[in-house]
Amino acid sequence: MSPKSSRIRNVFEPLDSSWVADQWHSRFGISKEAFSGYKFFQKAKSIWAISDACLPRLSYETIGMRIMSCKGRPWKPTTCALQIFGRYATKNLMHLETAFARIFLEGASQAVESDCEPGYVVVFYRGEVLGCGLYSHGKLVSQIPKERRMADRGSEDLS
Amino acid sequence: MDFLDRYRDIVPDYEAFRAIQCQPLHSSARINTLKIKRDQLLEKLRGQGVLFETFAWYPLGLRLDAGSPGKLLENLLGYIHIQEEVSMVPPLVLDPRPGETVLDLCASPGSKTTQISQMMENRGLVIANEPSLNRLAPLRSNCERLGCLNVAITRYDGRNFPRIPFDRVLVDAPCSSEGRERRGPGVLARSSCKRSMDLQVLQIGLLKNALRLTKPGGAVVYSTCTYAPEENELVVQAVLEETDEARLERISIPGLKECPGITEWNGRELKSELQSAARYYPHINDTGGFFVAKIIKN
Repeated sequence: MSPKSSRIRNVFEPLDSSWVADQWHSRFGISKEAFSGYKFFQKAKSIWAISDACLPRLSYETIGMRIMSCKGRPWKPTTCALQIFGRYATKNLMHLETAFARIFLEGASQAVESDCEPGYVVVFYRGEVLGCGLYSHGKLVSQIPKERRMADRGSEDLS
Repeated sequence: MDFLDRYRDIVPDYEAFRAIQCQPLHSSARINTLKIKRDQLLEKLRGQGVLFETFAWYPLGLRLDAGSPGKLLENLLGYIHIQEEVSMVPPLVLDPRPGETVLDLCASPGSKTTQISQMMENRGLVIANEPSLNRLAPLRSNCERLGCLNVAITRYDGRNFPRIPFDRVLVDAPCSSEGRERRGPGVLARSSCKRSMDLQVLQIGLLKNALRLTKPGGAVVYSTCTYAPEENELVVQAVLEETDEARLERISIPGLKECPGITEWNGRELKSELQSAARYYPHINDTGGFFVAKIIKN
């Protein structure tokens, strides 16, 4: 391990929280207050959030949770961030029935009817956030990370 | 297995200790209160027909009767974390409080890191240190899945972690893992005194630095999942001998039976205060094996 080299690699720049709150408010209608009490950082094209505490001067690999990627346009929320902040969404969200939720959790694409704007959406099942989906032209593409997908169809039941 | 014979004189009911090594561990999980309330989670499991019982000694611990608990939706969504029963002890002994600054010096895969994070209610700061590059991914993935927002990951050699004052430090040290034999046989076949002595050098280095990093009045918890006194009491003794600024605090968790740390090994007398440390044996609580010591810095 060489902290020296990681110091060069890991540049976390502090980010204004109002910019982050604006992005989430504009796409998902989440109240800006939901983002108070956190500090935000940008490293390369990723945005990170951590509880508001004094951060000692160290070489960090991660700071809190990666909440969004600005690699492409539009920006993409992470599934883990939606599981925290997504419950406050008031638009661009989708409630799935059991059969659809299963397909979504398996990481597959499916046709759905929705009045969401094209782009990333918060996917709910029975009132709980499952994660991030990409919706356009009547098709929902699951963005659930591979290691968190439900593998064997039919082996586990949704309740 | 014959390697275990060296513990004949220190393990109570030695034959039962030998016999249980061949019995696999039951599945267990911790309820992640960062994402769900305990009652809601129990309701969900009942709704799915998952059989479980809660630990007698920890209301957030569950023994699960499920074929592949890792595949449960509750696990994928981060409502539970699959974790060995007795591995939930060190964070409880550490007893972190919301708002504190805590260091987990040997963090991956993050079972104890995330337990600390949830005990702190996502407030304050947990530094999860893990020097090994290929062990970072599981640590990070578990923190994200479980919704930890007060954890930052670093990659220092724990023996040289920079001087920053912490309220509490957990040293869940790399060890010979003899207490994990029930999870997958073969660990004991690799055990040797030489291996323990090699690990001891590293363990002493880690514990020494942990004590340096702790604020006066703060606590260090040292834990391993092994029985070897060379990696347990002898490590704690070596560190205590070098300072008069630290003392051991007695460990006792209601509902979980511990045995006291040993005070004699291979004819050598050890500090009597090592009795305050705790040894958890698999045949006594039907768990894995663990050693835990709590050091208070004066």
